[in-house]
Amino acid sequence: MKTYLTLLLLLICGTCSLAQDTRITGTIKTAKGVAIPNASIAVKNTFDGASSDSTGRFSFNTSEKGKQVITFSAIGFGADSLQADLAGGTHELKLVLDEKLTELDVVSITAGTFEAGDNKKNVVLNSLDVATTAGATADIFAALQTLPGTQTSFSENGLFVRGGAAAETKTFFDGMLVKSPFNTQVPDQASRGRFSPFLFKGTSFSAGAYSAQYGQALSSALVLESKDLAEKTTTGVSLLSAGLGLDHTQRFKNSSLAAETFYYNLRPAFTIIKQKTDWDKMPEQYGGTLNYKLNTSETGMFKAFAQLSRSVLSLYTSNLDDPAAKKYFDNDNKNVYLNSTYQEYLGSKWKLQGGVAYSSNHDEGLQSAENYTRTDRNLQGRVTVTNYTGSLSTIKAGVETMYTGRNEGLGGRSHKYHDQLSAAFAETDLFFTPKLVARLGLRTEYSSYMQLFNLAPRTSLGYKTGAHSQVSVAYGRFYQNPEDDYLILQPLDFEQADHYLANYQYMGNGRIFRAEAYYKNYDRLVKTGSTLPENTGDGYAKGIDLFWRDKKTLKNSDYWISYSFLDTRRNFRDYPISATPPFAAKHTMSVVYKKFIDKLQTQLSTTYTFASGRTYVNPNNAAYLADKTRAFNNLSLTASYLTHILRQFTVVYVAANNVPGFRNVYGYQYSANGQMRKAIGPPARRDLFIGLLMTLGDNTFVR
Amino acid sequence: MKTLKFTFTLLMITMAATVFAQGGKYETAMQKALASLDSAETSAGFIGTANQFERISAVAAKEWLPAYYAAYSNLLAGLVTADNRQKDQLLDKALLEIGQAETLSPDNSEIWTVKGYVQFMKMSIDPMSRMALMSAANTSLEKAKTLDPANPRPWFVQGQNTFYTPEAFGGGKKAAKTMLENAGAKYAAVKTTAALMPAWGEKRCLTLLSQCK
Repeated sequence: MKTYLTLLLLLICGTCSLAQDTRITGTIKTAKGVAIPNASIAVKNTFDGASSDSTGRFSFNTSEKGKQVITFSAIGFGADSLQADLAGGTHELKLVLDEKLTELDVVSITAGTFEAGDNKKNVVLNSLDVATTAGATADIFAALQTLPGTQTSFSENGLFVRGGAAAETKTFFDGMLVKSPFNTQVPDQASRGRFSPFLFKGTSFSAGAYSAQYGQALSSALVLESKDLAEKTTTGVSLLSAGLGLDHTQRFKNSSLAAETFYYNLRPAFTIIKQKTDWDKMPEQYGGTLNYKLNTSETGMFKAFAQLSRSVLSLYTSNLDDPAAKKYFDNDNKNVYLNSTYQEYLGSKWKLQGGVAYSSNHDEGLQSAENYTRTDRNLQGRVTVTNYTGSLSTIKAGVETMYTGRNEGLGGRSHKYHDQLSAAFAETDLFFTPKLVARLGLRTEYSSYMQLFNLAPRTSLGYKTGAHSQVSVAYGRFYQNPEDDYLILQPLDFEQADHYLANYQYMGNGRIFRAEAYYKNYDRLVKTGSTLPENTGDGYAKGIDLFWRDKKTLKNSDYWISYSFLDTRRNFRDYPISATPPFAAKHTMSVVYKKFIDKLQTQLSTTYTFASGRTYVNPNNAAYLADKTRAFNNLSLTASYLTHILRQFTVVYVAANNVPGFRNVYGYQYSANGQMRKAIGPPARRDLFIGLLMTLGDNTFVR
Repeated sequence: MKTLKFTFTLLMITMAATVFAQGGKYETAMQKALASLDSAETSAGFIGTANQFERISAVAAKEWLPAYYAAYSNLLAGLVTADNRQKDQLLDKALLEIGQAETLSPDNSEIWTVKGYVQFMKMSIDPMSRMALMSAANTSLEKAKTLDPANPRPWFVQGQNTFYTPEAFGGGKKAAKTMLENAGAKYAAVKTTAALMPAWGEKRCLTLLSQCK
């Protein structure tokens, strides 16, 4: 019995492993020989292991014997394992681990493009930045005018980019071209964009050489990406000096539905702030939006968006030739915009995106005693397939087709035309190494109305020069249909532009610096004169854009500075010679500064904009477009006070435009004989806007 | 026959001893890791602790505690790391591990507490663009409270989050005070904590409370 007991004890002790251990020691380094601290090294399926020290050294004991698997991993690196034969004593290991590439280590295409999104790495502005930029009053297009490359536009709708006219910038909503992104143009006044910045999670603004995925823009593409499912159920109330709004968002398990309705009337504000404009009926607008999102699967997403609105206004404009007979302008606008997209991953290598969009924009009214009507209709379908071939490289290809139709009438006359524009594109982001990427793209379009094809190559090259810096160069050819006003008269040819640009970017530690030089060559621009329009115009634009943003240096503060130098001339429209157009200032600068003051629970934002003088046509000067206005200056202030009213989260918003009261002149209008002239300027020297935005039942600002 | 019976008994005992030894190893390893968690102060120290818990978690794959403590250690490592990029990496790992713990033990108040804590810290790296994580953090902590009303930790974490949130966004010392007092009372009411179970937060809670006055 005694022997048995001894045997038993021995057996148990045996399992307790009193036998001699193996000491595992060694180093863990990258392939380049850099020590990896805090890596975890272990004998697989046991508790035995250790972490490496700051020099990459480690050591631990294990009781395991024979062939064992040693696993090792570290944060920011991959994981690996190897086999070791453990037989007591000291076992020396020299481990090598590869660095895991994160988004930030990989070069990206930055030439021409300002990314702005909530979760992207090249973020320059996010949706809240747009909403809180002074002078922009939550208008996407106005906020983008604080970025380099853009002109400040005040008397004409649109984004004027690098010497391009407004029609050369196109807006895309989830990949679909938006035909009328702006409210109706009022004589000599820029209107706001139709879309709220809170609809979008990402904005990619390309000032040139944009992707082959998009077309029909000679200068610039603004790509807006709508938000996914709403986080939760909320209700919002907006009381503005210009109107009111009510919205409700309902969150379901796999979907969300948001409905919004708004009514704007500028009469109260315009009564208090004297307007130079001779209004007959001050602008009034009402409308609503519906926004539905559905997670169709773990990776699938369906989105549907609808916006309807109607606006009415009428005003008198002075008649320099006959001051007693003022000109009358009256407008009734009805706008419908529908957009529906679907995307899904097919396996791990393929992504499919599809969309359908419809828009209808109808204007009617009286212009100088004549009735006018104008209806634009658009229907677009688009399918894109993306293949993730390698770890980084991608190939994207797609087709789209778009119906555009316009009907217009003035007095008894009427015109109409329609075009079916079909396009196909392919583009690849080819990574030679994580530091070197080439984007090669090709786009082709066919217009049924003009019966013409075009072929547009696009290419860029990006190289990462350091941890935070990179350089890129890009070339691209761009085509667009001439504006509807010309096409309705007769079929023409595509207008074209070539972009060449070089870019340097530093981004890191809360700071961004960008410098970009560009040259654009325009050809086949539409010219009118005494004859019918023809594609005989041309021009060029060259310049330098600089951007600096710093969120780090000043506490609770954020500021950015943009500067653009632009040299451009063109011979188009009714120009008799090549000249610098009125929408192109030589020097443009914006300074935006934002600070959150904890004690006052207030965010202050200020924007200063400077633009050197613009050209205007003076009939008394033999040289065309040779006169220049005085320089433009504007200083705007916005204060957002965060508080609770009736225990509901509330933002009180005050925006003051042109606080110092700079006297700005956009240009001049002359009488037919050149004797009389009138300065075109803002309707009021200073402007004030007040709003109260309340979110019911939630402690964050939701819109 | 007798020999057979004996051999069988011997076999049973040996097997039981092996199982006991394995079980004991888990307890010992956990205790050792918890001790190093207690003494850790630097980012390297907390990552080392997280590594220990990860190794245990890889073996004791059915236990939620190792994954939970690995997440908690990475969270603390993130808190004492100044570099935002590394901080993000650590918190991402913590999120992954707390998700792992959640699959092993769904509807666990402690797990939802750490989840809410990590979400809040991820938000605080870039509050302007990560606003959505703020409500996600609150949802997690509210869930933790409902799952175990006696657990002081979700109250403490919520109090601490509120303490560091600007008043304008519904935070501030005043609002935090009530939550921390609630947490304090719940900490005081806890009589004994089972071995290896979470017991953190009381000291920090009292420190914050004293700063609220």
